[in-house]
Amino acid sequence: MKTKELDALKQIAGEENVIISEEERYCYSYDSTRLEYMPDAVVKASTVEQISNIFKFASSEKIPVTPRGSATGLSGGCLALRGGIILLMVGMDKILDVNPVDLLIDVEAGIITQKVDMEAQKYGLFYPPDPGTVKTSTIGGNIAENAGGLRGLKYGVTRDYVNALEAVLPNGDIVNFGTRTVKGVTGYNMVDLMTGSEGTLAVITKATLSLLPIPPARASLLALFNTIDDAAKTVRDIVAEGVITSTLEILDQVTINAIEDYLGLGLDRNIGAMLLIEVDGQQGAVDAEAGIVMKVCNYNNALSCKKAASAEERDEIWAARRAALSSLARVKPSTILEDATIPRSRIVDMVQEVNRIAEKYGLRIGTFGHAGDGNIHPTILTDLRDAEEEKKVEGAIEDIFRAAVEMGGTLSGEHGIGISKAKYLRMEISRESYEIMKRVKQAFDPDNILNPGKMFTDL
Amino acid sequence: MTEKKKNTKKKDQARIFKRYDDLFNCSRCGTCMSFCPVYKNTNDEGLSPRGKLSLIEAISQEKLRFTDKVSDKIYTCTMCNYCDSECPSGVNIKELFQEMRQDLVDTEKYPLALDFLKKRLDEAKNVTFDTNEGRIDWTRQIPDSQPDDFLKDKADVIYFVGCVSSFSPRTFSIPRSIVQVFREAGVDFGLLGDEEWCCGFPLLSSGMKAEAKKLADHNIREVKKRGAKVLVTSCPSCYHTWKHEYGEISSEKMDFEIMHVSQYMLKLIQDGLLKLKQFQKRVAYHDPCDLGRNSEVYDEPRKVIKSIPGVEFVELEANMNLANCCGGGGNLESIDPGLSARIAESRAREILDADVDILVSACQQCERTLAAALKKLKKETKRKIKVYDIAELVLASIRAD
Repeated sequence: MKTKELDALKQIAGEENVIISEEERYCYSYDSTRLEYMPDAVVKASTVEQISNIFKFASSEKIPVTPRGSATGLSGGCLALRGGIILLMVGMDKILDVNPVDLLIDVEAGIITQKVDMEAQKYGLFYPPDPGTVKTSTIGGNIAENAGGLRGLKYGVTRDYVNALEAVLPNGDIVNFGTRTVKGVTGYNMVDLMTGSEGTLAVITKATLSLLPIPPARASLLALFNTIDDAAKTVRDIVAEGVITSTLEILDQVTINAIEDYLGLGLDRNIGAMLLIEVDGQQGAVDAEAGIVMKVCNYNNALSCKKAASAEERDEIWAARRAALSSLARVKPSTILEDATIPRSRIVDMVQEVNRIAEKYGLRIGTFGHAGDGNIHPTILTDLRDAEEEKKVEGAIEDIFRAAVEMGGTLSGEHGIGISKAKYLRMEISRESYEIMKRVKQAFDPDNILNPGKMFTDL
Repeated sequence: MTEKKKNTKKKDQARIFKRYDDLFNCSRCGTCMSFCPVYKNTNDEGLSPRGKLSLIEAISQEKLRFTDKVSDKIYTCTMCNYCDSECPSGVNIKELFQEMRQDLVDTEKYPLALDFLKKRLDEAKNVTFDTNEGRIDWTRQIPDSQPDDFLKDKADVIYFVGCVSSFSPRTFSIPRSIVQVFREAGVDFGLLGDEEWCCGFPLLSSGMKAEAKKLADHNIREVKKRGAKVLVTSCPSCYHTWKHEYGEISSEKMDFEIMHVSQYMLKLIQDGLLKLKQFQKRVAYHDPCDLGRNSEVYDEPRKVIKSIPGVEFVELEANMNLANCCGGGGNLESIDPGLSARIAESRAREILDADVDILVSACQQCERTLAAALKKLKKETKRKIKVYDIAELVLASIRAD
């Protein structure tokens, strides 16, 4: 950006909101992908009107604008791929209203997701989506990426909780989509289009989110298996028995060993897989469901299946799962967390395929994740500074994607396409589907100034 | 904090250039940001641990240079180390920040305030504007004693008061309480008087190791000279420095035990040397970062509080290694007092949630910042919580009717 443009930007956005020093811009050049793209300016968003004015200016000058929350994304969604302006949303973080009768909360987009849940708890309610970054990431980012989390099987993902949105279009228009009602079919479902659009169609500024009553009871169970096969069959059978668990997490042997190396919890290193299961609801239902889960585990040759008798035991059970990523991250300098997702019925096939790919490329890959919804995380442990390794990792990732798509799955369950997966998009999506998506993008953003270069490699 | 020394000689081999491997271990996941009191109160990525590490990495890769702006970011830190203890990738954040500060000192890019500090410590051996002769002025108002009574050639226990408690009148009641508790228990103790020099913590945490060594050597020699078996501190930062840093920076051998006053008072209580009386209060404990997370002293202060009859002990929601900083850590208060106060206010709100009569800390700095923040919030919340140091609480129980 030229000095003249920066001066104009300061006029529009407020001088105190515009960051241009090299050192400070650098701090907004990265996210959790570790990719880096230097923006020309960082603007702290303060009001929807200010954002609208920034867009009017940016679209007339054809300057790229990329919205950014806490930058914990894993696909590069908030990076200024083509320079221009980073629009920093974290300052717009107010809770505007809670309506416990309608089970709705109104928030500004920059609020940290956990704070939404904490506010809901004051009313005996909760906000179900719980991505791994729930303490750090913003609601705006969660909506843009349609973030998932541990409770997907029973409670769904971010999409299922977004009722209405306020957003700013690339031309500066302020729009409102959605309703405050449970049902609502007036016009296109633009809320669903916005959710998961990765900040390529509009900048979300406010959200009306659905809440649920906190279930009065829950039970946590830990089951150990000799083989991942038995664990996967258990996942299948639990659902077949009509139990929809709130969480159903799987850890494979590589992950279990990494956790043991790090924490020394006394886990048996020969265990093939571990399942962490939680059911919640009314006490009677929880007891009955926990009983069914235990029966299914035992039927599928579980070495052991233990139900937590106290809060401490529950914490112990979850300690291993919570430490999964940390433990894997400590093995090697680079940790590539993938999220190719398959239908639940193909979990065994996928884990076996990942192991085969790991062997083929001579890589260490630990797999853990949300078995209940087929969203598992093959985690490649490597050192990306080594060019040879990098090539191997690229090959392995492509193989994993291909396997997922062939099994009727998808490239990304919850991390998004962004920069990281853009070149693979056509692997899953037909030319016709791709073209209509592109035309949607062009309808919203004819000048291609909003988060350009993401998702579509040819835009 | 914008003013810096103009001379900018560049070191050929900055320490940080050799730390790329460690820096690369940071996956930039952002977990640290949810713990960092500075980030949470500023929303400034460059002030978050992730931001600082990224800046350091960029310097180590020569993408950025050592500049005043970088220096500003690096030094804006309470050194609570919450980030270091919670990093999923196990990045040694504390050590990397420390090395970066040393590099900034070497390249003369440190804040001007630190130059003043260095000069003060060199000349007067304490961090205040006073001469070191005033070290025991606080003893004047202790009943039935003269200041000289506390200066002994030989003593079993040396109480190392620390600069803040020695010179800041607002915190005098902490050392006054401690010497009275010690007298109640019949402890043979002495003070170092003007031979007590700053422990060196402010220098160490600023990246000035060589200057800190001189202070450490002197202090150890003075304690040994008096034949002490135990060295007691009331300041957690002094404690941390004595216990965990002196062994590394000083060539002097230490043949005495180092204890925080909370640990020593617990020993006195367990040995039956203190008569604690009924004290009917709801009490919460705030873990000082340098005592808790950074020195792992969690149990003893709690046991001291719980041993007071009548006290109802309440655990704050964020406690022990998960306790949030009071904002007074590191040198943040001298670098950005407004930010320090905002952090204190965040912690004060958590304390208000616990609905107690008394908040106890074991650090003069925490007591000061939290008392100020709670006082400020009183107008808004109409709630009054008294802030006590742990020694003040023990003395209050001894003196209770």
